[in-house]
Amino acid sequence: MHCRFLWAGLLVLSLATPAAAADQAHGKQLYQACAACHGAEGKGGSLGPNLAGVVGRKAGSLDDFRYSNAMKRSDLVWDDGNLRDYVTNPQAKIKGNRMPFSGVANPGDADDIVAYLKTLK
Amino acid sequence: MATKLKEVDAVMVGMGWTGAIMARELTKAGLTVVGLERGVDRTPGEDFTLPGVRDELRYVQRLELMQDNSTDTITFRNAPAETALPIRRFGAFLPGEGVGGSGIHWGGLHWRFLPTDFRIRSALAERYGKQAIPDDMTIQDWPVSYEELETHYDRFDKLCGVSGKAGNLRGKIVDGGNPFEGPRSDEYPNQPIKSSTPGLMFGEAARGLGYHPFPIPISISSAPYTNVEGLPLGSCEYCGFCNRTACEANAKASSITTVMPALRADPKFELRARSFVTRLIYDKAAKKVQGVVYTDLRTGEEYEQPAGVVVLSAFVFGNTQMLLLSGIGEPYDHATGKGIVGKNYAYQFEAGATAWFENREFNVFMDSPGMSVCIDDFNGENFDHGGLGFFGGGYFTCSNASGVIGGRPLPHGSPRWGAGWKQATAKWYNSAARFNTQGSVYSHRDNYLDLDPTYRDALGRPLVRLTYNGTENDHKMSRYVVSKLEGIIKAMNPTHYETHLRPRNFTVVPYQSTHNTGGTIMGADPKSSVVNRYLQSWDAHNLFVQGASVFPQQHGYNPTGTVGALAYWSAKAITTQYLKNPGPLVHA
Repeated sequence: MHCRFLWAGLLVLSLATPAAAADQAHGKQLYQACAACHGAEGKGGSLGPNLAGVVGRKAGSLDDFRYSNAMKRSDLVWDDGNLRDYVTNPQAKIKGNRMPFSGVANPGDADDIVAYLKTLK
Repeated sequence: MATKLKEVDAVMVGMGWTGAIMARELTKAGLTVVGLERGVDRTPGEDFTLPGVRDELRYVQRLELMQDNSTDTITFRNAPAETALPIRRFGAFLPGEGVGGSGIHWGGLHWRFLPTDFRIRSALAERYGKQAIPDDMTIQDWPVSYEELETHYDRFDKLCGVSGKAGNLRGKIVDGGNPFEGPRSDEYPNQPIKSSTPGLMFGEAARGLGYHPFPIPISISSAPYTNVEGLPLGSCEYCGFCNRTACEANAKASSITTVMPALRADPKFELRARSFVTRLIYDKAAKKVQGVVYTDLRTGEEYEQPAGVVVLSAFVFGNTQMLLLSGIGEPYDHATGKGIVGKNYAYQFEAGATAWFENREFNVFMDSPGMSVCIDDFNGENFDHGGLGFFGGGYFTCSNASGVIGGRPLPHGSPRWGAGWKQATAKWYNSAARFNTQGSVYSHRDNYLDLDPTYRDALGRPLVRLTYNGTENDHKMSRYVVSKLEGIIKAMNPTHYETHLRPRNFTVVPYQSTHNTGGTIMGADPKSSVVNRYLQSWDAHNLFVQGASVFPQQHGYNPTGTVGALAYWSAKAITTQYLKNPGPLVHA
């Protein structure tokens, strides 16, 4: 019982954590793993779409990138929550998308990456 | 009648690794450069993304990235007395075609040759006496030393983001790396790829026998990396789709990921794909090449492209053929041993083993060639050949018996089809380990390239004719190294194992190695070589020949590391010496 209360408490805490607490600088470091495809500072690269301004953008909507059907049909507008879910486990969030990335293991890392992505304009 | 185009400063014939490196270095020096490539242009974003890139049938079986034999091929025979026939589908070796060349579908094994490899004839003579080298073994010292190439090896490492562990850092032997390698000025750019379970078992057994195991050096980045061109590489995903295909994660280095993005952005560079260079325009009196003639394969129209500098940067066969067809240099005459163009063709003499470990699970569906563990104790002059009756050697590797669908070796005697085959496959698929010895081929007077008297390519040019067979020396070498490998396998205590020696006669199937070398070899003087130490033709001072066709013989390592280092070495000579004072860089 004691244990369950503790977990519940942690869950509330993590939900209550404002995005501003996420570590942008750490997110920038972690973004190095994304840069091979999405380019430095999200400017687009050889394999992945441009990520500048991705938060607030409709998923799969850039004209100059050939998205998977799964991404085009996802009917998502990227926000903190769904980007975090996607970065954590891309195939669970949008099944059949073609980003070759298995996801970040640590939930804090996903928040930090999203915080960094929000700075890309 | 060819349409004559406006002269450019330099033209590349072939846009694989060396064409891209040379074009990049020459444009940086201010030259306008045209890159001619007979194959198609490919980019990672358009051609090599998921899920299409993980198509084993398309790339591994149907060989989409390889040279199109219906346009051009080579003919082959084992001995000068035989009649050669065209290879209508490549098997033993797989030259690539298109922008990126064979450097797209390679496995990424990234090695340096030993310091003694570069002076092999002298080293053998010093150690065993001049008389010990057979007359028909036409090996020769390289006209460049390991020490001279080191900084260029290092530069190429940092272009590719090579993963590995140094064994000799500025002369200091470092535990965990290859203690036999030449001194490195710097550690590898990336940590080694994670080793496979069989690789680790092999390392432990080898260490127990007194050998020196280390993780294989590989042009697959183990972590995100920004290369010397400022281009980002991803980290290996261990997906197993490396050989014969391209990398979905931008982790395996190729010229299309590590150089071409910078070249494409440079206004001084122009890429012309589907442009098949048929000959060089040679002015024998002036000892210069005036340019190249090529056919646009989309229209069939012929063009003449004049250029100040011409770089031959095609595969081994194409480079040699171009010189033979253009009348540059004296063709090698097997009967008399005179002449040089086509001489000292060499190959890689690989042999290996498979072992099965009952009830062990290796997760063979996760793979990367970088997961291999190897030893270098039986390579080149790393061991004493006294009394052995052969020269040469090779490094040994062990890893998963991979190949996601195609690679499912079964012990000898297993059913070949039906329910029994399925049961055996289910039992052994995940517990098989693969071993290889990367044997050297020391050049022999009977192994060479010339022009075929009968067969022609789609544009009417005589095909290259390959005359090659495994020599007594190389068979002895291979039997010896495989016997040493067998000792390590036994120490790993497998349920079953089988060694695979090469058959007596070389055949063009099944796949063995794409490491063809020689034909336009480098050397100290025009009598013994086609190009000088800077890869400059002795017969045309503005012609530079790149790639493994300049190797005087093939050592017990994959060639690409040395191919890249030589390209940087040659580019430096052009940009710092030749452009200031065009003419021979070495006087004959």
